[in-house]
Amino acid sequence: MANSNFSVDIPPQIRNLSGSFRYILLGVIALVVIFSSFFTVQPEEVGIITRFGEYTRTANPGLNFKMPFVENVRYVPVQRQLKTEFGYRSTAADVNTSYAKDGYRGESLMLTGDLNLADVEWVVQYRVDDPFNFLFKIRNPEQTLRDVSEAAMRQIVGDRTVNEVLTVGRAEVSIEAEQLIQSLADEYESGIKIEQVVLQDINPPDPVKSSFNAVNEAQQQRETLINEAKSAYNKVIPRARGRALETIQKAEGYSLDRVNRAEGNASRFNDLYSEYIKAPEVTKRRIYLETIEDILPKIGNKIVTDQQGNGVLPLLQMQMDGAKVANPNNNSNN
Amino acid sequence: MKNFKSIAIVVGLVIALFILLDGFYVVDETEQVIITQFGDPVGQAVTTPGMKFKTPFIQRAHFFDKRYLEWDGDRNQVPTKDKKFIFVDTYARWQITDPLQFFKRLRDERGAQSRLDDILDGETRNAIASHDLVEVVRSSNRDPISGATITDVIEDSLENIAVGRDSIQVQIQQQANQLATDLGLTIHDFRFKRINYVEEVRQTVYDRMVSERNRIADKFRSEGQGEAARINGEKDRKLKSIESEAFREAQEIKGRADAQAANIYARAYDKNSSSRELYSFTRSMEAYQNIFDDQTSIILSTDSEVYKYLNSIDG
Repeated sequence: MANSNFSVDIPPQIRNLSGSFRYILLGVIALVVIFSSFFTVQPEEVGIITRFGEYTRTANPGLNFKMPFVENVRYVPVQRQLKTEFGYRSTAADVNTSYAKDGYRGESLMLTGDLNLADVEWVVQYRVDDPFNFLFKIRNPEQTLRDVSEAAMRQIVGDRTVNEVLTVGRAEVSIEAEQLIQSLADEYESGIKIEQVVLQDINPPDPVKSSFNAVNEAQQQRETLINEAKSAYNKVIPRARGRALETIQKAEGYSLDRVNRAEGNASRFNDLYSEYIKAPEVTKRRIYLETIEDILPKIGNKIVTDQQGNGVLPLLQMQMDGAKVANPNNNSNN
Repeated sequence: MKNFKSIAIVVGLVIALFILLDGFYVVDETEQVIITQFGDPVGQAVTTPGMKFKTPFIQRAHFFDKRYLEWDGDRNQVPTKDKKFIFVDTYARWQITDPLQFFKRLRDERGAQSRLDDILDGETRNAIASHDLVEVVRSSNRDPISGATITDVIEDSLENIAVGRDSIQVQIQQQANQLATDLGLTIHDFRFKRINYVEEVRQTVYDRMVSERNRIADKFRSEGQGEAARINGEKDRKLKSIESEAFREAQEIKGRADAQAANIYARAYDKNSSSRELYSFTRSMEAYQNIFDDQTSIILSTDSEVYKYLNSIDG
């Protein structure tokens, strides 16, 4: 309409153009309509479609159509695992992820049940389970999840001793935190499903860390001392046991030896005796002579004297020089 | 003239359209609306989403959020009943449940937040000040798990509570809801987000923790030394006992053997006088065999039994 007022000044080329203007306009409108009608939902998302603000349907991944201008689409990444960190932030997720911890102490420092302090870092992994609730039931669901997580973790840590939190209670803390966070998320109809609560570092606060380490050291020292003592024990006692067995075995040996010999001797004696008793005189003499016969060749210096030969004794004494003087017979020295 | 008329019609149409459009309004899923006429609310609140119509210009639509809304408390520094200085950080989730009342009393969310600040911060302060710190920190009287090596060293016990965190939270929430009944809003949940010692107190807490740890460390060390000494003593005792028992047993065995041997000998040798005689004779003979060697000199008289035939055939 405005065109017609100024039609006089317009050159023919432009006039031609303005003739096709309505087509251009139509084309542009058609393009806009098409572009605002079709939309793509990414594989990990769903599209929530509202008509005049009212929820109508959920669009699945792929190319979708909606009524232009009247309907609106909001994307919610339902398949993606999301996470929110407490006490630290991953700054560059890579093979070696780097972490920033400064400035997040306030999130991680908390009171334990025995009124000590512990530094607990954790991460909550979650998924949007119900996109409708996530969008329409709660404002700022991410911040809500953070608030809930902090409150829940503190409640659970607040019911435990610092030792439990630092050592044996870890697994339990993460399980209970997960349950509590989930129940609160459900209570707020946030549409969020908690996949996992992972406890990262749990430390005593920095100013007391060294004394906590000292405890560990002392514990190691205790073990070392005990082990050393045990090893000294083990070095000595089994050997002593072996020695004791040796002593006893030797005594047994002695015993056997002694008894066997005694029995042997006795048996030999008994045999001899039974013969001896038949002819004592002869047997005795025979044994005597046999013995002498046996002995005399072994003796180095043998002197046979007559009854009158006693005078030579002093001379012989010198020659013998301390050698033993023995006389098998009583009458030899008189 | 004709042109002017058509322009007037067009302008009139545009104005009519404009007026008509002002009558339409869109309520989102997240919103609820109340309609006011010259500032006064008219009719019920509109809580369903979709396109709605009102009298254009005369009526105005006021949008309120329908969702759970956040409220974040101030970091309050409060002394507990047992005079411990802590700061408390709280949050609440609330909802506009009666938008008409809400609009009348608070006008908008800003007003609501500041009212909630007054109510909840005040209630928090009251609740904290009338409870011991443990009551705010703990929520049950569970027993700590023992079994950790450290726990049997120190008396790792948790103080019992009478009220507990959960109840205090609920209590604050209920009190606040009572105060907020006519505000058109409901506080659904109230929680302590963070509770911690104030900076100045923290150092003394750390000192206490350090001294506690030192106590544990000392205990470990002395335990180690004690245990080592005990093992060492046991080693000595065991050693002596093993050695002496072995000695005793060996002596007993030997003694029994000696006795048995003596018995055997006695039975053989001590039958009668002739056996005794034979024994002493044979034993002497045996002894001679062993006594003499090549160093021995012997002087034998021809009177002796061996040589007696040297002098005479009759001996």
